[in-house]
Amino acid sequence: MKNRWFWGRLLSSIGVLAAVLVLNFILFRVMPGDAVSTIIDPNFSPEAKDRLRELYGLDKPLLEQFFLYIKQMLTFSFGLSFLSRKPVWDELLSRLPGTLFLMATSMFLSSALGIWLGIKAALNRGKLAERIVLRAGAVTASFPGFFVQLVLIMLLARTFPIFPLRGSVSIPQPVGTLSVTLDYLWHMALPVLSLTLMGFGGWALYVRNLMVKALGEDFVLMARARGLSENRVVYGHAFRTILPPILTILLMSVPGLVSGAVITESVFSLHGVGTFLLEAVSGHDYPSAGAAFYMLALITVISNLLADVVYGLVDPRVRVGGRDQ
Amino acid sequence: MRDILKRKSVIMLICIFFAGFLGPMLISGHPSDVTGAPFARPLWWNAKLPLSSEYVVGNSGVEINWEKLPPEIFALNGRITADPEKEVRIIWSTPVGEKTLDTLTGSDLYWINMDGRDMIFKQKLGLPLIGKSAEHLFPMSGRYSLRTEGAMETELSLSLSGGREGLLGTDQRGRDVLTLLIFGIRTSLIVGISATLIASLLGLGLGLATGYIGGLFDAFVMRIVDVLLSIPTLPIMMVLAGLWGKGLWQLVLILSIFSWMGTARSVRALVLTVRESPWVEGLRVLGAKRGYILRRHLVPEAAPILLANIALGVPGAILAEAGLAFLGLSDPRLISWGRMLHEAHSFGAFTEGAWWLLIPPGLGIVALCLIFMDIGRFLEEKIDPRLGSGKNA
Amino acid sequence: MLDIRDLTVRYHSMGRTTDAVNGISLRIDKGSFTGLVGESGSGKSTLMTALLGLLPPGTDVMGQILYKGADIIRMQESEMRDLRWKEISLVPQGAQNSFTPVMKIKRHIEEVLNVHSGKFGEDAEKEAARLLEDVGLDAGIKERYPHELSGGQKQRAAIALALACSPALLLADEPTTALDVIIQAEILELLSGLRKSKNLSIILVTHDLPLAAMVCDRLVVMKDGIIAETGTPSELVNDPRHPHTKDLVREMFWQRDKKNG
Repeated sequence: MKNRWFWGRLLSSIGVLAAVLVLNFILFRVMPGDAVSTIIDPNFSPEAKDRLRELYGLDKPLLEQFFLYIKQMLTFSFGLSFLSRKPVWDELLSRLPGTLFLMATSMFLSSALGIWLGIKAALNRGKLAERIVLRAGAVTASFPGFFVQLVLIMLLARTFPIFPLRGSVSIPQPVGTLSVTLDYLWHMALPVLSLTLMGFGGWALYVRNLMVKALGEDFVLMARARGLSENRVVYGHAFRTILPPILTILLMSVPGLVSGAVITESVFSLHGVGTFLLEAVSGHDYPSAGAAFYMLALITVISNLLADVVYGLVDPRVRVGGRDQ
Repeated sequence: MRDILKRKSVIMLICIFFAGFLGPMLISGHPSDVTGAPFARPLWWNAKLPLSSEYVVGNSGVEINWEKLPPEIFALNGRITADPEKEVRIIWSTPVGEKTLDTLTGSDLYWINMDGRDMIFKQKLGLPLIGKSAEHLFPMSGRYSLRTEGAMETELSLSLSGGREGLLGTDQRGRDVLTLLIFGIRTSLIVGISATLIASLLGLGLGLATGYIGGLFDAFVMRIVDVLLSIPTLPIMMVLAGLWGKGLWQLVLILSIFSWMGTARSVRALVLTVRESPWVEGLRVLGAKRGYILRRHLVPEAAPILLANIALGVPGAILAEAGLAFLGLSDPRLISWGRMLHEAHSFGAFTEGAWWLLIPPGLGIVALCLIFMDIGRFLEEKIDPRLGSGKNA
Repeated sequence: MLDIRDLTVRYHSMGRTTDAVNGISLRIDKGSFTGLVGESGSGKSTLMTALLGLLPPGTDVMGQILYKGADIIRMQESEMRDLRWKEISLVPQGAQNSFTPVMKIKRHIEEVLNVHSGKFGEDAEKEAARLLEDVGLDAGIKERYPHELSGGQKQRAAIALALACSPALLLADEPTTALDVIIQAEILELLSGLRKSKNLSIILVTHDLPLAAMVCDRLVVMKDGIIAETGTPSELVNDPRHPHTKDLVREMFWQRDKKNG
């Protein structure tokens, strides 16, 4: 039974991926009109263009081109960038870790902080702690992220020069693994800090509501009746039960994380997939733009699938059918 | 519904509306006019910085008592008529000495266009090429004078752009920030509201259609909703903005395409519950046509949900527009708060420490978002009791 | 074993004060099967909650509840925790909601064994299987999640869970409501049998007088927070004194006559 549910989710993800591929094809090959100009730099000589035309199969009918395109996307052969004349895949590969790091750390930190605060608020109903958390949650939800980041830069990188103004690494780069790591972390501190600050509020609010509801349920009272310690009741029973919806929100936050990472990379001039996409889009570099977008969509689809799987592992009600009264 | 007008956020919104649409008419001049030095501070900041001043330089020259810090720009414009045989000199006198700004012969009319930022000007006077020449022309507080020697008629104007200008300072081009801020209101409001309206109408239509028609159509549209929700929004909007062009209405369209899904889902859920309710059954039994039921009953039921969704959707649209503008993907000629932040970010506001370029547009965006979210919450509260007393069985 | 002296439980809610239990005194002997009969609002559930020390904060409790000599009301929370499940356990009303949805049945049992009986790992698992068999459930149930069980199975599992730490006193709060008649009988038989085999004292809380009369050796009738009458089933049925008891008995016969046509 577990398998059936899992394959269902996998199929669904493949469906979304297929839709993304079609969308990519339409956006980056069909829509710009001349499919040629989307792969072949207009500045190439006519002979080079003809050869490349053959190579990329642009003289073939649209449907064949589509399948060729899918093959290219699935094998990550993205061609050459117009702007740099280098293989797009190499460029993307160098930028992927930065973007993933940003997304992963901010997701982890903001959810961890938010969950912890949410639980604390639920356990301290009516007291100051809860009120602060509720306020913080409402406020951070409405601030445009990049504004907060700009203000942080102004405050912590210029007025009080604690952090660097921009970039992922210092120039010139320091020597030695430890120095490089520390330098990188120092550069990533403000971006991650800002994303965490903006993200934790929503989490805290949501978790607080979930916990308050869970703590009022019968099974929590029963857990207490069984003489279990308060900690065990709160974390082992109440919190354990609200884990599935928490994971749902984790899943739903991924597209937002991607967008957040793109903006953050722009604000801090980080070396990531987001800035790559921006440069490509601004410079009409179709191969790069298509590849970057595809990668971001891929990250989204994969994280969604992963979150789905973890959700199923955590909530037995989803993967094992129930028996009705 | 009358008490909505008493709510603080609505009052503020109305004020902003007025400022945004009447303001531009009342402001003389164009927002892209240069009104002062680049990165000038707000008037009320750091009184040691001088205000901008202009002096008429006539035949007898002009004398200035300078007490503050040096100005930002030193500019001299006008004309001098003279005897072509004679040599004309323009002399700038400072407490520590005199400088000849220019020596002219051979014509009977000289047009003067001196700008202290000019490299040639700096070179001629032996001033360092990097840095503000005005600082070297005003070494300390004291008496300064500008005069011409050997001219017949001197009609010059000396303008000293101050370090303080306007209520909110100036941007990297010298444009008044307050003016830009007011002109930017329109963009945020128009984009935010129209994008959300279109998205809501789209969502309403599709929600009603899928809820009522059901079947394969419903499944198909819901699949599309799922896919659209799985695509990261900002990247796709970036791509579309880059490929389709950066105009205002393209932006509105792009924003609408990716915001209708939530409304569609809510409306569809509503239609599904109402459809099965006894009173709709009754209507059908009485022979009411589908269109009639849709128009007279479903749409009014959906209206409050729609209103709340709109109020809550506008902040999203405003933020999205600001985000795209910040990334540089909006029309450069269009004044928007996001664009102001983009220029602040890309053109050196940080190096200058020009916080007045960041805070006003940013706070403006925040204010609008908070206002609409408050309105949305208010409408949601209004809806809830209504559903309870509604016609649903 | 259990001596309730002049117990009053007062709730404060929305500006009003209610005495859910008003000055009741009751003695429960070891090994007895007492039926607490009353309608909703009679105070019986409140009494059960008070016995476990789980009344909501802000509730006034007056009087004494002496369990084996110690006053439960004046106990610290940590002492209370030791008492719960090891001495007094509960089969709750509506066992449907008493299990934590994301935990397997066996985990529920193993947990109390870990905390109260010092049994871990394989020992605990074996014990859990044995407990489930004792209540007539297949040992495979232990791997199931609460939502996979039928109503009757959940009730049995709740009983197994309640007996896990070999308590001296079992409180069964409406254990048969919402179950069909055959299962009701089975559950009651189970409780009776277990009482004998484990030398358990049971308080059965119910609104159903005939049901209690069938299995209990003593009945206590409650109404509006006070004890209306106590006695053996035959005493109460044949010779009810209190008007409320009379009503209940009359109702019982009327139902029986209705069934017999």
